[in-house]
Amino acid sequence: MGCFFSKKSRRKSPNKDSALPTGDESATGNDLPETNNTALGSNSNQEAPKQYSWDKREKVDPKDFMLTGLKNETVGRLPGKLNGQQFVIQDCENCNIYVFDHSATITIDDCVNCRIMLGPVKGSVFFRDCKDIKCVVACQQFRTRDCKKMDVFLCCATQPIIESSTGMKFGCFQYYYPELAFHFKDAGLSIFNNNWSNIHDFTPVSGETNWSLLPEDAVVQEHVPLPDPESEFKSVRISSEASRSIVPITKGGRRTESEESCLFVFFSGDYTTANARKLIDEVTTKGFVLIQTKEVSMRPEDVNRVFQNNAESLTEWITKGPVVALELNGDGVVEACRSIANEVFNGTKVFVSESKHTSSRDVDNFFNFADMQMGL
Amino acid sequence: MGLLSILRKLKSAPDQEIRILLLGLDNGGKTTLLKQLASEDISHITPTQGFNIKSVQSQGFKLNVWDIGGQRKIRPYWRNYFENTDMLIYVIDSADRKRFEETGQELSELLDEEKLSGVPVLIFANKQDLLTAAPASEIAEGLNLHTIRDRIWQIQSCSALTGEGVQDGMNWVCKNITAKKK
Repeated sequence: MGCFFSKKSRRKSPNKDSALPTGDESATGNDLPETNNTALGSNSNQEAPKQYSWDKREKVDPKDFMLTGLKNETVGRLPGKLNGQQFVIQDCENCNIYVFDHSATITIDDCVNCRIMLGPVKGSVFFRDCKDIKCVVACQQFRTRDCKKMDVFLCCATQPIIESSTGMKFGCFQYYYPELAFHFKDAGLSIFNNNWSNIHDFTPVSGETNWSLLPEDAVVQEHVPLPDPESEFKSVRISSEASRSIVPITKGGRRTESEESCLFVFFSGDYTTANARKLIDEVTTKGFVLIQTKEVSMRPEDVNRVFQNNAESLTEWITKGPVVALELNGDGVVEACRSIANEVFNGTKVFVSESKHTSSRDVDNFFNFADMQMGL
Repeated sequence: MGLLSILRKLKSAPDQEIRILLLGLDNGGKTTLLKQLASEDISHITPTQGFNIKSVQSQGFKLNVWDIGGQRKIRPYWRNYFENTDMLIYVIDSADRKRFEETGQELSELLDEEKLSGVPVLIFANKQDLLTAAPASEIAEGLNLHTIRDRIWQIQSCSALTGEGVQDGMNWVCKNITAKKK
């Protein structure tokens, strides 16, 4: 394999000595201690080189985990075919790429005019030098560098970042296939932790914005089509309808019509996820809007700060597991949520804002706490 | 030495404080490594926008570890952190072959830096848990590590995610911390 060490001509300061950094130029002494190692554990004082799990595992062909140099094709992976491994996509043009499985991390390099669906990724998704991409992505971290014109329907557990990229547009993840909920679990991702609308740009340009939000009524299928019915993916029963999306559709940073919000919190129990989904159905049917959701663990000391006057009974409820919190919005939403809590969730451990005068404080207290918790 | 100065010495430096700089390309696993060293939860890590710092006790040393964001745009700020560094830890994503050249370039420039001259360097060949990860030996060869003659260095394969190999790297750090070439 060739040497990929940098060449001296690429160094930034032209005034430096022209010799390659072999160390001879900068050493003040001329003898070095013989403690440097060119391989693992080869110090003369140690035992035989240590064996790690990666030394012992079966060697695989990296090509089985890569899509390279494809053109005008429909390709990808069916459920169960990746099973949490790494995946690499590079040099593809005019392809429809579907990864219907969970993975460890995915890099996408030098792709042009592709439509891509990436199932839940445990680590990062990193697009580099890509252009004219439309994609649906679920991941822990979302990163781009040197990309141009991308439409991304995103579920990201942390703040997405872009660098040297323009024409980037973001919308809320909206997708369903039967195994998708399991793949989220396998990847360790919560459907309630989605920071799709607040992007950090490492290279902002004064007077311009490199990123924006997709129109709220954007139709996913028009960006990332369903797979060709003749392809290997014909067996996967996909839906990109909002009502069927595994990840609840949130308004995120979009402007809201009403000033009234309500905090609704489900404490950990057997049906927390199902209950949260039921609440979302109930309120959206009534015309209210889901702004944001969070699934986060709380400690007893957090309860007082976040729930203030209502704290006592809640302190024991938070010990069983993470809570799922939702911010709903609309005129009359607090009253509507309180009556739903009584009628539909009687007996379930929940917190609902008491009145529209205190609810925005509840929302701020909770989501500020959640943001701090989930930062470093 | 007078009794007072002996007492002062014993009291003031029970742990030696070591300044460690954690660098490498973005997405390399620096922050995951930092959290792993501090035995903290690593399931929810966000791309570093500025820097992170943690103090970790290890083998009688107090390690002050500075994890600096590695995006291309903010690498020029790395030099703000060079001063008084006792140990450089450079993290490489062993499974991102597309960027081997870039990471080699950045490492080479660091080793050229006056303010880092003589500072021992531990290179973590990270993400060995991933299937396409290149082994440390391959990375060492590609980076021409054997040509480093002006400082003590070591390459260590690891997975910051699972923790495997991390302690071995830190053992080398603690063993070689005072061996900085003047």
